[in-house]
Amino acid sequence: MREPNAIDFWRGLALVTIFVNHMPGNVFEPFMYSRYTVSDATELFVFLAGWSLALATSQDPPSHVVLRLASRVVEVYRAQLVITALAFAMIAAAALWFDNPLLLEWHGAGAFFNAPIPSIIGWVALTYQLGYFNILPLYVVLLMLAPVFILIARISRWAALAASFALYAACLVFEVTLPSWPAEGAWNYNPLAWQFLLVLGFVGAEWARESPAFRAWAWRLMPLGALGVALGLVAYFTDWKPDPLVVPEPRLVFIMDKPFFSPLRLLHFLALALAFQRLFRFIRPRLGWITRQLTALGRNSLAVFSVGSLASLGGQLLRFFTGGGIIVDAFALSIGLGIMIFTAWFVEWRQRSKRPSSLSS
Amino acid sequence: MASAFQTALIALLLTAAAGVGSACAQTAAQAAVPAAPAPETVDTSLSPECRVPGSKLYTLAPLRSVKRALKESRAIHVLAIGSSSTVGIGATSPASAYPVRLEGELEKLFPGIEIEVTNRGLSGEIAAGAAERIRNTIAEVEPDLVIWQVGTNDALARVDVDSFAQGLDETIKWIQSHRIDVVLVDPQYTASLARDDYYGRIVKTIQEVAGRDRVPLVLRYEAMRWLASQKGSGMLARDQFHLNDLGYRCMAEHVARAITLAVVEPEAGASGAGAPATGATAAVPAQ
Repeated sequence: MREPNAIDFWRGLALVTIFVNHMPGNVFEPFMYSRYTVSDATELFVFLAGWSLALATSQDPPSHVVLRLASRVVEVYRAQLVITALAFAMIAAAALWFDNPLLLEWHGAGAFFNAPIPSIIGWVALTYQLGYFNILPLYVVLLMLAPVFILIARISRWAALAASFALYAACLVFEVTLPSWPAEGAWNYNPLAWQFLLVLGFVGAEWARESPAFRAWAWRLMPLGALGVALGLVAYFTDWKPDPLVVPEPRLVFIMDKPFFSPLRLLHFLALALAFQRLFRFIRPRLGWITRQLTALGRNSLAVFSVGSLASLGGQLLRFFTGGGIIVDAFALSIGLGIMIFTAWFVEWRQRSKRPSSLSS
Repeated sequence: MASAFQTALIALLLTAAAGVGSACAQTAAQAAVPAAPAPETVDTSLSPECRVPGSKLYTLAPLRSVKRALKESRAIHVLAIGSSSTVGIGATSPASAYPVRLEGELEKLFPGIEIEVTNRGLSGEIAAGAAERIRNTIAEVEPDLVIWQVGTNDALARVDVDSFAQGLDETIKWIQSHRIDVVLVDPQYTASLARDDYYGRIVKTIQEVAGRDRVPLVLRYEAMRWLASQKGSGMLARDQFHLNDLGYRCMAEHVARAITLAVVEPEAGASGAGAPATGATAAVPAQ
């Protein structure tokens, strides 16, 4: 079990933020940092995924890099299939139980219930994603792309960055994306654009480890980061956003767009990372219990994310049937966080006790 | 087509000038229907099981961009967004695919005009960030008309009604500011929510915003409530869950009909300074 560290801590925070934000309308939403920022927890999650890939693969020979990532792809893919199945079942059960067909349309689940034949193909092909269940498909494709960039980075980090940026820029200019199917449209998160953030995280971690000059510059640029965060706040409070029908071509470069991870989101996230790069060191000795819980969540992010996704769906259903309100929201939040913390503990307990359930197989 | 369209337009202009206020406009529209050829053809296009006698099917307001496109006889690009729009072409049996039906209905109602329906699902609530997504999708598709089936996600998430209304209003105004027409479709009726006060308020809020911003609104909730009450007639499956299929089909027909009627709806400026802020209310004549 890893000691508490900044990556796990921030990843834990991202998990909690995603859990709360996926119960829209709840009274705790205004307390989430992502409410006031241009980027949000997805950026944090993807950047940290890249960062931790650098730590995990640094000693691996190339073949191991590919195999390690392939096994991670399998794990994440499996998790996505399972949580989607459970989400369908939760929605269907709620619709039956409360005699409410409206629920079947929730989060795009209507396609599955109305047209199961194409939908089940889309489900396993990851081209059919329920609302709020679209981060893991992004992660699957990112992990499939990652070995290419990691191996290029072994030769030249700048080359890896350049290749990644070229793909990102091409996506923005030519509006390249992955199609969704059977529903018309595109992926909620375009992996071909988001890979740039993963590679930035990866290369950033390598430089941070090896280059004192990089670390010094990152710290010197902290005020610039703070300025970026402040500008993000101004944009939030003045409700400023570029009008997508007015901006020049290529449109995606100038607008705020989450699927394409548009440049404004990228710049804002880099500002956040610069501004808060050393915050963990400050928090850790002061908020011991919170630090331990968040890092435990972050260490077991896939399991916690999966359970958290289902918990937030459960929270949404609870809010719907009770009408919400502070008591219901506080209940949903505490139960959800409790389940997430338990999940983290349970995964580590299974690892410690060497998974007795699998001994027989 | 053009002359019939103009006749209808003149007829409606005259009647609307005579009657101000929704009650007057309702009788005016009813009186105008037999005289106006365009709505007459429209009427027969509603399947018998989708007719809702005596009850309000839509509130109307002018559709300027669609009208312009019709006058120039060019293709009309329609963007359908909303939670039941997610099943696209080829995804399901033609009987229940709403966008396919909508395209067919509109092509039937505007013969010779090419209609292109693009379809996008809506994941998320307009009160909580989906507004950005809607704008970006509209910018990507650049439609003449947006058919926005709104409110389901927000109602299910129990978001604050005021922030829902504000988000809806801002987004509609933005769409209008780019000379793109909007037709709203309110969320569907289901028996288990008939007495849900909050759900009722969401439906009512959509009506208020549609009236204030002068956009046509298809009252799917009302239509489905009437259809659901006709279980004995044999037109509907007794099973609540089968209402969906019929709901999609009737929605396509109702939307298409609302669009054709809204196209001949008088402009706010043309009917005088005293024009009411709310759109005129049209009723479907009894079968």
